[in-house]
Amino acid sequence: MIERTATNTMLTADGFTEEGFEAFLAGRREPPWLSRVRREAFGAFAAASLPDRSLEEWRRTDVRPLKLGSWTVPAGAPSTAEAPKALLHEDVDLAGQAATRDGQAVDAWLDPALARQGVLFGSLDDLLREHGDRLQPYLFGRAADPFADKFAALHAAFWCGGTLLFVPRGVAVERPLHMISALGDGKVDLGHTLVVLEEGAEATLLAETASTAATDGGLHCGAVELLVAPGASLRYVNLQNWGQGVWHFAHQKAVVERAGRIQWTIGALGARLAKVNQQVVLSGEEAEAQVNGVMFAEGRQHLAYVTRQHHEASRCRSDLLYKGALQDRSQLVWRGMVKVDPDAQKTDGYQRNDVLMLSQAARGDSIPGLEIEADDVRCSHGATVGRVDDELIFYAQSRGLRRKEAVRLVVAGFFQQVFDRITIGSVREALSRAIGQRIREYQET
Amino acid sequence: MSSDTSGFVPVCKVGDVADPGKAIIEVEDRLLALFHLDGEFYCIDDLCTHDGGPLGEGDLEGHEIVCPRHGARFDIRTGKALTMPATSPTAAHEVRVEGDQVFVRLRA
Repeated sequence: MIERTATNTMLTADGFTEEGFEAFLAGRREPPWLSRVRREAFGAFAAASLPDRSLEEWRRTDVRPLKLGSWTVPAGAPSTAEAPKALLHEDVDLAGQAATRDGQAVDAWLDPALARQGVLFGSLDDLLREHGDRLQPYLFGRAADPFADKFAALHAAFWCGGTLLFVPRGVAVERPLHMISALGDGKVDLGHTLVVLEEGAEATLLAETASTAATDGGLHCGAVELLVAPGASLRYVNLQNWGQGVWHFAHQKAVVERAGRIQWTIGALGARLAKVNQQVVLSGEEAEAQVNGVMFAEGRQHLAYVTRQHHEASRCRSDLLYKGALQDRSQLVWRGMVKVDPDAQKTDGYQRNDVLMLSQAARGDSIPGLEIEADDVRCSHGATVGRVDDELIFYAQSRGLRRKEAVRLVVAGFFQQVFDRITIGSVREALSRAIGQRIREYQET
Repeated sequence: MSSDTSGFVPVCKVGDVADPGKAIIEVEDRLLALFHLDGEFYCIDDLCTHDGGPLGEGDLEGHEIVCPRHGARFDIRTGKALTMPATSPTAAHEVRVEGDQVFVRLRA
């Protein structure tokens, strides 16, 4: 947590300068309340240093090679070159789509029948100008903390090009909505995602990121806010598929109220270094969260995910399963926490992380945690890190499979447990296909 | 910083690092620990293979660097892990000195 203090010397040593901030703010034409959030956040950003490895959360994630000074706010016209292919909505009948390119909104549509029911979907920049008062209670409210760390502050000060989904009370959006954030080599994306489901509303949102080429670099510093009102139900999929040179920083949080439900699926395939804080808060009785994570890293990728299931109210359920496979010299860090408040009796909380090593040189750190202040709960956790079982490979080969096919089969079996929980067929298939394409043979060195 | 045709990258001048002494350098987006000892330069990853600790911030004892987190020792000449809790070597890189210029070439 960084200090919430203003500073007189706001000039930063990087590209996100006070001068740049003032020019950015002047061009935004936003409600005063939002400008205040940005201004406070910029003060915190300018005052904070990059997190170093003396901090427990950053102990295994080294951001020293990150040169913030070489990046700045997205500006100019976004690329018009062919956009990267979206993976998540193949053969899916969509109710709407929103796209950003190089950090700026470029396109959005929504089924007019839903628009007539009051559903809002598209560019957060644009919709905020029209519906600012309505969105004020939500944006940077309960599900985003601009002062969590330097990246959260950077995002809160400079975010742009985000996406909004707002579903009014009692409206069920039957068909999925899709959003994609595409990034060209060396570009910056500071997109903010805000999802608001009013009481009893239902929706499915498929979100994905992509770079123009698999090796592209860039910077993403984003945030996701998911607000699920009493009795509402959200299925949210977030596939991170940036190029392998992209720095990816994100704070993502869902707040689920009484008897609300969320199924949140994370896919992590891209980025040079990803540091993601994913949090689910169960704030009302009988709220429920299912969190699924599918990770695959290769080369020198470093993926760090910090998850938190926070039970604030009684009789809530949370169930987290993260599975990751590592190839080459890649690294995966998972730190999980189930936090149970004193009033959250009858909590049912579970977290599990399994890591499969496809190379001796890869590294997996899996660190589950429980912090329980109530005395009538069921909470458990598990974590495994292991290599591909030679006996399984031998058995598969003895049945006529080549070694590579055998490894693919074992990896597919490893992920099946989490795929079985994902209720959206196109998502299951996209993740399965993407991982299948990445697997090479098991490497002894 | 551009590399020459043989892949060696200039990283510092000989006089920039005391003897004995160490420095943390960056080559091709990787952080490395560079050591100067008895007139020779050595270079390994700034990374303890036990817990990801910053080796460049440890104490140099002869040709051994001691990880500041848990005391694992590595040979700065080879990257070999010498004591528990580290069991795997950290990457050691090639160093060449020409005149007063120190060059490093990454291995693996």
